[in-house]
Amino acid sequence: MSHINVKVAAIEQVTALIKHFTFVREDGQAFPVFSGGSHVVVSMNINGRIQRNAYSLMGNPEETESYHISVRRQEKSRGGSVHMHDVLKVGDSLQITYPVNLFALEKRAHKHLLIAGGIGITPFMSQIKDLERNKANYELHYAYRAPEHGAFSKEIKANIGNKLVTYVQSEGGELNLRALLSKQPLGTHVYVCGPGPMVVAMIEAARSLGWPENHIHSEQFTAPPTGEAFKVKLTKTKIEVTVPPEMSMLEAMEAAGVDAPYLCRGGACGRCELEVICTDGNLLHHDNYLSDAEKAAGKKIMPCVSRAKCDLLEVVL
Amino acid sequence: MERGYWIRSKPVYSALVWQQQANAHLVLVEGSAGGLAAMKLFQQMLPQQSITVIYEIEAGDADYTSALKKVVPDDLQVLSSHDAAMKALEAYLPKALMGLRIYVAGSEKFMWDIAQVVQQYGVEDADIAKELTGTLARSVYCVHCKAITHNAHTNIQVCAGCGKNLFVRDHFSRRLGAYMGLMVDAEDPGQIPEIEEIYP
Repeated sequence: MSHINVKVAAIEQVTALIKHFTFVREDGQAFPVFSGGSHVVVSMNINGRIQRNAYSLMGNPEETESYHISVRRQEKSRGGSVHMHDVLKVGDSLQITYPVNLFALEKRAHKHLLIAGGIGITPFMSQIKDLERNKANYELHYAYRAPEHGAFSKEIKANIGNKLVTYVQSEGGELNLRALLSKQPLGTHVYVCGPGPMVVAMIEAARSLGWPENHIHSEQFTAPPTGEAFKVKLTKTKIEVTVPPEMSMLEAMEAAGVDAPYLCRGGACGRCELEVICTDGNLLHHDNYLSDAEKAAGKKIMPCVSRAKCDLLEVVL
Repeated sequence: MERGYWIRSKPVYSALVWQQQANAHLVLVEGSAGGLAAMKLFQQMLPQQSITVIYEIEAGDADYTSALKKVVPDDLQVLSSHDAAMKALEAYLPKALMGLRIYVAGSEKFMWDIAQVVQQYGVEDADIAKELTGTLARSVYCVHCKAITHNAHTNIQVCAGCGKNLFVRDHFSRRLGAYMGLMVDAEDPGQIPEIEEIYP
C-alpha cells in the first residue's frame, strides 16, 4: 500500500478534548485533491508498535498544500488518540495513506441532510465545501454535549449561516431524528456520522418512515477493541501469529511481517475480509460490514476490528 | 419465448403489497384491470399513514370508481384521461415528502410514464412498486430513427417514425420506458417473418 510521508505543520487545541492537525508533504509536492467525506489512515509508532487510525479529512477538498484532521482524545482506548495528543509535535514526521472515500455525497440527491454528533462533524467539514461549491441544497444538523464540545461550530456558522442547526445537550437542545426525517422533500439523502447509538437511531428512524436504503448513508469507524490473547494460523503463509490483548489481529499480522490487505481499519469497508477455516472458540465480530447472518455463519472475519475468544483461529492468508 | 433465455433488462413486475413502514402512500392505477388491482390492495391490512389514489379510467371501460369510493379512506381522484392523470400526479409531487411509497398498476406505458415523472423528483424507479395489468402491449424504440411506437401487440411492429418493420426485442430501457426495436429485414429486404400477436 502506497503512503505519503508528511510533516506536522501546525497543531491547534480546538476544545479540551479535540486537537486539529495540519499536515504538509515532506517532498514539498501537492497533495491529491479528494472528495468530501474522504479519510486517510495515519500510521504512528507507539513505543515500537505501529498503530494505524483512520481520520476524516476536514479541509477544503481542492486545497492541495495541506491536509487537515481532527482527533478527539479517547482515554479508554489503545493509545492512538492519546499519542496524537500528547506525543506528536510540530515538525514530527508521519505516514498517511492516500485518501479513500467510504462516505461520498450522492450527486443525484435533490437535497442533502447531514447529521453530525460530536467529533462526527469532521467528514462534513469537507463535504460542506463541496456542497457550497456546487450550490447544492443542504442542511447540517450538529448535536453535541455542551458548548465547550462544539468544535468548529462558530467556524461553520460563519461559512454556511443558517444552513447549520446546532443542538447543545447541556442547554436542553434535543435532536428529534424522527421529526426531522418526517418533513424532508422527495429526493433527499441523509448522512449521519457520530456515536454508535446515534447512527443506529437515525438508520432505524429513516427505515421506519419508509426511506429507501440507498438514500441512507452512515459512517462509523470502530476502534479495535482489546481482548484476550489468541493465536492465528495463516494457511497460505504457513505461520502462526499471537495476537496480544492490546493489538488488533490485523496489527499483529503486520507486526509479524505479513502483508495483509486493509483500507479503512475501522470495520467499515470490508477490504481486509479473511476466510475462516476453523477455530476452537468463538469469533467476536466488531465490524459494521458483515451482515448478521454472515457474522452468525462464522466463515468470515474482519481482522481490523474483530478478534476471537479461542486458543487457535485458522484463516486463509 | 425461448426456454432458459432471459434478458436482464426486462422488468419483472409483481402484485402490489402495502409497505407498512412509510410516511404516506400514493396509488396510481389505470383502466378496469388497474381498478381491480387497487381493490385487491385494499383487501390487505391498511397502513396507518395517509393514502391517495389516482385512478385513470376512460369512458366505456368497466369502472371500479364506486367500489373504490367505499374503500379509499382519504383521497380518491378519478381522472378520465391519461393527460389528466399525469397532471394530477404532477400536482401531488411538489408537496410530497421522503417516505412516500408509490404503487402503480396498469400497462407498461402507464408505469414508465409515471417513473419518468417521479424521477424528476429524485425517486428511482426501483423504489416504485409495479403491477402489470390489462395488457402486455409494448412501447418500442426504433434504433434507426429513434421514434417510440406505443401499443405494439405483435412480434414485429411497423415503426411510427420511419415505417421500417421492427423486430421487438426483450431488451428494455428504463430511461425511455421502451423495448428495443431493430429492422427485421435489413439483410433480406422484404423477407418478413410471420407476424404474430404475442403481446395481447
